[in-house]
Amino acid sequence: MDYRKLVEAIPVAKRELLSNKLVDLIFSSKNDEKMPSQLANTILHYWQNDILISEPGLTALLEAAVLLEPDKTVAAFTESELLDFAGQIKEVAVAKT
Amino acid sequence: MVKFGIEFVPREPYWKILYYAIQAERGGFANLWITDHFNNRNVYVTLTAAAIYTNKITFGPGVTNPYMVNPVFTAQAITTLNELAPGRVVLGMGAGDKTTLDSVGVEMEKPLSAVQESIDIIRKMLSGESVAYKGEVFSTAGAKFLFKPKGKVPVYVGAQGPKMLALAGKIGDGVLINACHPKDVELAVSCVKEGVDSAGKKLSEVDVAAYTSCSVHEDIKKANKAAVPVVSFIVAGSPPQLLERHGIDVRKAEEIKEALKANDWGRAFGGVTPEMIAAFSVCGTPDMCIERIAQLLKSGISQFVVGSPIGANVREAISLISAKIIPNFKT
Repeated sequence: MDYRKLVEAIPVAKRELLSNKLVDLIFSSKNDEKMPSQLANTILHYWQNDILISEPGLTALLEAAVLLEPDKTVAAFTESELLDFAGQIKEVAVAKT
Repeated sequence: MVKFGIEFVPREPYWKILYYAIQAERGGFANLWITDHFNNRNVYVTLTAAAIYTNKITFGPGVTNPYMVNPVFTAQAITTLNELAPGRVVLGMGAGDKTTLDSVGVEMEKPLSAVQESIDIIRKMLSGESVAYKGEVFSTAGAKFLFKPKGKVPVYVGAQGPKMLALAGKIGDGVLINACHPKDVELAVSCVKEGVDSAGKKLSEVDVAAYTSCSVHEDIKKANKAAVPVVSFIVAGSPPQLLERHGIDVRKAEEIKEALKANDWGRAFGGVTPEMIAAFSVCGTPDMCIERIAQLLKSGISQFVVGSPIGANVREAISLISAKIIPNFKT
């Protein structure tokens, strides 16, 4: 899946809430050993510059969330009424497991 | 005006610590303290990354000890950090904790001398001197850096007992008092003051910090639940006179200690009472914590350190403290 393309299609109004949900999900995950260092560094870079809700920032968060907590990521999109996106992420999550 | 510090334990992955550090800096914390235990991730690697990812927060080990890390190495690490982030580095030095030292077969020999001598050596090294030193615990024979160290690094002494507190007041640029309750902090500050007086200094010249176990949440039950594991270890490691000062049954503390030794977490954590939480943590809703911090300030502290566990959800707790507690103390 091209995470960036998916993120670009997410309505701007939904991005801040979604970004917060994904950060919560990543930071409360018990699977933090699955986080690749390069991806973690990318997220830190966007956080340092306070642009985690930008398209590249959200893309990095989404990638990490799917890696650490695929099911919860789908649930986060569903709760945010982004059902089409949830469906796409679910496909990736299934493919990865 | 009181400064707020925050402590992180690098048992967590580096990226979480750095995220929190950036968040804390943005939220108005002035000091970042990283604990130093061999069984967690390395303190200086973590601090180096923190130096790169932050801009203004002051940071340092909180605290290292001279038994596990030779003072010349500490001096080298600290002065290198101070090149990377000039003027933002502090050093927290204490005697270490006996359990950790025992686990690696290192004896906590003459802790007062060890702390004093290590700080002497470190300060001399940081001033670029060739250090020939003969102490009771540490000696050097012309140790000197092959580069010129730059800038001054304030040294904080981590202390709990009366003698170490007095020494901290005497030789420290700052003191990290390991206590949470106003009664304990007040007593500790009086010991610090003895040391300060003996050195002919004023208490206001020393940054006196209450280094607390803190747990903040809008829901008191969640704040308590997060505090319980940390409090159980503090209770288990506390001397009887400290427990008695807070009306805590020494036998109950012994039971917790035994349960912890047996890795029986349920029994250990289940033995923690509200009185123990009140004595050994700053715990509760933001309003409750504000009240406790205000009481601590009356004892003469100039820095309040938010130590582990911080809250049930660290990220949320940092936001809460930044939004609801810190602004309350800005005058």
